[in-house]
Amino acid sequence: MESVCLCPYCKNRFAGHESLRAHVVAEHGSAPLPKPDGYITLTVNGQSYEQKVEPEWTLYYLLHDKLGFTGAKQMCDRGACGSCTVIVDGKAILSCMTLAIECDGKRVETVEGIAASDHPLIEEYVKHHCMQCGYCTPGFVVTAKALLDKDPDPTEEEIRVALGGNLCRCGTYPQHPKAVLAAARKLAK
Amino acid sequence: MEPFSHFNAQTIDDAVLILRRYSDRAHVIAGGTDLIGKMKDRILPGYPEALVNIKTIPNLGFIETRNGMVRIGPLCTLEEIANSEVITHHWLALTQAAARAASPHLREMGTIGGNICQDIRCWYYRNPNNRFPCLRKGGGRCYALEGDNRFHSIFGGSVQEGCYAVHPSDVAPALVALDGRVKTTKRTVPIEDFFSVSVQKTTILDADEIVTEIRLPLPVEGTKSAFGKFALRASIDFPIVNCAAAVTVSQGKAIAARICLNAVYVTPYRPAASEEAILGKPLTDVNIERAADAAVSGAKPLSRNRYMVQIARTMVKRALLACR
Repeated sequence: MESVCLCPYCKNRFAGHESLRAHVVAEHGSAPLPKPDGYITLTVNGQSYEQKVEPEWTLYYLLHDKLGFTGAKQMCDRGACGSCTVIVDGKAILSCMTLAIECDGKRVETVEGIAASDHPLIEEYVKHHCMQCGYCTPGFVVTAKALLDKDPDPTEEEIRVALGGNLCRCGTYPQHPKAVLAAARKLAK
Repeated sequence: MEPFSHFNAQTIDDAVLILRRYSDRAHVIAGGTDLIGKMKDRILPGYPEALVNIKTIPNLGFIETRNGMVRIGPLCTLEEIANSEVITHHWLALTQAAARAASPHLREMGTIGGNICQDIRCWYYRNPNNRFPCLRKGGGRCYALEGDNRFHSIFGGSVQEGCYAVHPSDVAPALVALDGRVKTTKRTVPIEDFFSVSVQKTTILDADEIVTEIRLPLPVEGTKSAFGKFALRASIDFPIVNCAAAVTVSQGKAIAARICLNAVYVTPYRPAASEEAILGKPLTDVNIERAADAAVSGAKPLSRNRYMVQIARTMVKRALLACR
């Protein structure tokens, strides 16, 4: 998904602004070109992405529609349901209420990254059957992962509070603290 | 969302310059949790031409205790305030208020500066696509007066505008009870004078003015503060009524009391009669009941919000009981 950048000296095309900067420094002896407006570099699940974004794009739109991380789900689109939760610099935040252009240099973690790292939360969520339709589940898992990163041994009450911003219309609420507690026990081993 | 320009401010002066260049067609964005919702719903007749991101300004997220006061940076998130040991120790009501605002996600995003600058949540005002061009948008009337006003002011409308939308902040009443001051790029004012009601404005801030600091004095010996909130849901909900109180007790008697209700009036509401009723008296059950009665003695509920009067009375009582 990298954008094509044109070298102002030799009109060669480059994939992404980082490679253009390297080119102008090496080939033309010029100072590195300033980043054009709207270019951001962000890390998603450990991989670096360079992207031209529009100011009105939300982080959700960038991740889901442009970069293909379809784990985060759009539900209310107003910051009231938690389905679009992702972890940015260690904090569980709502990607639908975050502007992508303000995420330059940030480290983003999505549910895909949590699954790829074989986090015990995934297995425990399946084992405890914390979903019916499953639409809200990625948001819950991401929020729970951020909680366990901060506090590896949370109480049931702390889990309830931390998951307080995630809504589930199937009503699977009682299962979530059980799964998170089980995952915390597994992590402690 | 519709297109707009976006600026990452590097300094406060930088941000003010951009705001000035756009006169009143640009908005400051910090956490964005209020503003982005407003823009997605297109509730306002106009649309911001530019957003000025102040999160890129370094060192605005401080919590510093010095010279008998705490200075809180406007970019401090509500979660940082809720977890601050020094604030919990001296200004408990603020911790409690920050911890009860919105949901954990929104508390990680939302800032204290943004919280006190947030817009009203009246459902006519917030109806998408500017369906109700009400007084607060420069229109002709308040739709809540003859419509559904179950979440509107019980102490009358604003004098100039006749708007009945309540101020929705949880943090604001705590700051008022704790005698806070707001420093902006132009002035320093007591927090009570910071809130004002006019078209598309909930504060006194000019279009090119930014909150730079919130200050709370160190409470004198014998002071206790508390915050309570009544909402329909325990998590992620705006208050039906909330109340913060700070009472100083010396030799068994209340020598200073500041009480502030919110979500009951167009700005955070200090029930002066209630504060007077408790001053000079011990915090007994009877005195607290009297003070709670006094708090709502001036209530003028609308057609569908009489129930809020009883809740407001109870919230004052609970806040005072928690200060014993």
